Amino acid sequence: MLFPDWSLGNRSTPPAEAVLVVAADGRIAAVSPAARTQGAEPGMPRREAEMLCPGAVVLERDLAEEWQRFELVVSTIEEIIPRVEVVEPGMALVPLSGATRYYGGEEPVVEIVAAKLDLFQPRIGVADGPFAATWAARTATPGTPMVVSDTRRFLNDLDISSLMGESPDAESMVATFRWLGVTTLGSLAGLPREALASRFGAPGLIMHRLAHGEDRMLDPRPIPPETAVELRFEEPLETLDQAGFAARAAAATLMTRLGKEGIAPHRMTIEIESAGGESRLRVWRSLDPFTEGALADRVWWQLRAWLESGQIRGGVIRLKLDPADLSGGGRQMAFFEDTSARIEAERALARAQTLLDPAAVVQAAPRGGRMPSERIRWFRWGEDTPPPDSSAPWPGSTPAPAPSLVPPEPRPLEVEWDEGLPVRVRLGSRWEPILTWSGPWRLSRKWWMGEQAVDRYQIVTSAGAFLCVVDGGQAFLAGIYD
Amino acid sequence: MFDRLWCPIEVRFVIDRWDLSTRLQETSLDPFVLQPGRPVELSGPPGYGLTRLGYRMLAGPSLRAPVVVVDVRGWASPQAAWETGVDPDRLVIVRCPDAGVWAKVMAALCEGVKAIYAEVPAGVREQDLRRLGALVRARQVGIGLRPVEGGLPAGIAHLRLRPLEVHWSGNDRGHGSLGSRTLVMEASGRGVAGLTRRIEVEDDGANIVRVVPGLVAGQPEHAAG
Repeated sequence: MLFPDWSLGNRSTPPAEAVLVVAADGRIAAVSPAARTQGAEPGMPRREAEMLCPGAVVLERDLAEEWQRFELVVSTIEEIIPRVEVVEPGMALVPLSGATRYYGGEEPVVEIVAAKLDLFQPRIGVADGPFAATWAARTATPGTPMVVSDTRRFLNDLDISSLMGESPDAESMVATFRWLGVTTLGSLAGLPREALASRFGAPGLIMHRLAHGEDRMLDPRPIPPETAVELRFEEPLETLDQAGFAARAAAATLMTRLGKEGIAPHRMTIEIESAGGESRLRVWRSLDPFTEGALADRVWWQLRAWLESGQIRGGVIRLKLDPADLSGGGRQMAFFEDTSARIEAERALARAQTLLDPAAVVQAAPRGGRMPSERIRWFRWGEDTPPPDSSAPWPGSTPAPAPSLVPPEPRPLEVEWDEGLPVRVRLGSRWEPILTWSGPWRLSRKWWMGEQAVDRYQIVTSAGAFLCVVDGGQAFLAGIYD
Repeated sequence: MFDRLWCPIEVRFVIDRWDLSTRLQETSLDPFVLQPGRPVELSGPPGYGLTRLGYRMLAGPSLRAPVVVVDVRGWASPQAAWETGVDPDRLVIVRCPDAGVWAKVMAALCEGVKAIYAEVPAGVREQDLRRLGALVRARQVGIGLRPVEGGLPAGIAHLRLRPLEVHWSGNDRGHGSLGSRTLVMEASGRGVAGLTRRIEVEDDGANIVRVVPGLVAGQPEHAAG
């Protein structure tokens, strides 16, 4: 069940306004109809989409808020069919086998669900297995569910690119398939499985199984009975801070327990009980095994959604995390990595997050830019790492070495000039003579948006070196080579 | 040329004017490698290159587990840390401008993180710093402490590094760009057997920090004879 452009939310923007929602990896997560008519598409790099829609409103994706809205959809489905599996906000998998027997067939169930969710305009696809059902939903139109009776035949006509995202190296494999003349899933399914296994190894087998309508195998292991973690609270959890702490504690306990077994879950059931006697249960699913941070985030989103929706009377008194689909896939280590040190460090960082604020514990990834502050992409520790930036080499960028200290915003700096040459700089209460300098290096910024060009200088004093920017006659400190 | 995976850091530390036993002792006292339970203090105003030395101390430990920079001012640049060899995937920055909670955060980090470079905000109580020092020794954490103002109370740091002068080369009245840096520092504390020594460090900018061979000399502290 797919809710396209769920990230757009209920923004009360005029229909003619182009809106782009950007995910943490810098790609477009959703576009409004107006943006779509201008050529923007989900999955496109942000820069390309902004080029196509220059006047578009650009929003950062907020997964917690999206999940909060999606909770209403999932609750509605669960009134008809229990045990919904959530892949991400905007996408849910619903096992139909039991409901089909109860309601007398697939079509009646789908009609009931579609009628209940009519307000949200879902795309509903029914097929054998999550992969085929997902593609059925993608090809369906809102209001007209796509019920696939012959999954194999349906998959045969799909383009080979539909396998993208099904394995870490799917992109290169799809390119190779095309180069070999295999352009549809049908032609891939026609190849001998042994030949694919010989040429591509395990990922080739996965692709062949998917093309055959046999869904992705998870390499499941038996679930030891003691893996589930249950926390009981004498004082009911009523605030979001308490819920966040409990989420991190439960995730840490569970992942430590699983880590000892060398396994990680692909599916997680989150169950709570309230002081008022209500129970709530939700299943989360992930293609990649959950890490501690990812799991803690999902538990936190879920608790936040339940608490803020007012469904929990009197607060939470019991929280249970029950893992399923356990595999060894999440435990791959680097050559030198010390697993116990990593787990201990993650636990310590989680504690630091609770003492400070989740946004105060961050990581960074490199990205393109000309100024030092532009070349860093920050993201919260525990969130998925953005993919490496493969953008252009950025001619004109400030040369290495990078300043070790970079103010978030350039700070005014007093520099004395003599016929255009820097002479002295004020550091604190004293004036330091400038021994030598580099520059000016002219940086032309977004002139089409009215931004003026600036000049950059590296100035050297006996007390150190500084990166200085002169903008409109005023000097600013942009970095310290400390 | 070394393969970065196998030998990301080339550090040479050669002592002149010392006997062989002192040399052997000193090679294990590379001040730019964090040693478990032995805090290193880097005190001095910004501009001399101490932050880069602090980042450099995290490069080796980042091969094995996450390392942490505790950023008080909000100015820490991971790009410079990556240049010194810190693994980007294992570098975590904890922003903690509040002196009131700083000691608690540090204590939490010391319970699990093996290598930390931390700025120390002004206003942290001396007793908290001493408790932290004890915790660092008990948990065998490698830690570099950089007071934002002044220095640490005596007895906390195993090795104290204080910059004396810095020279840059590579630019000349508008031409070129910053290249290598030579930093003269004073090392003191138990890490250098209670003596005070001058160390000259050459930093070749975008790559690694290294101690230039043959330029390290003992500085007499007492009048001879």
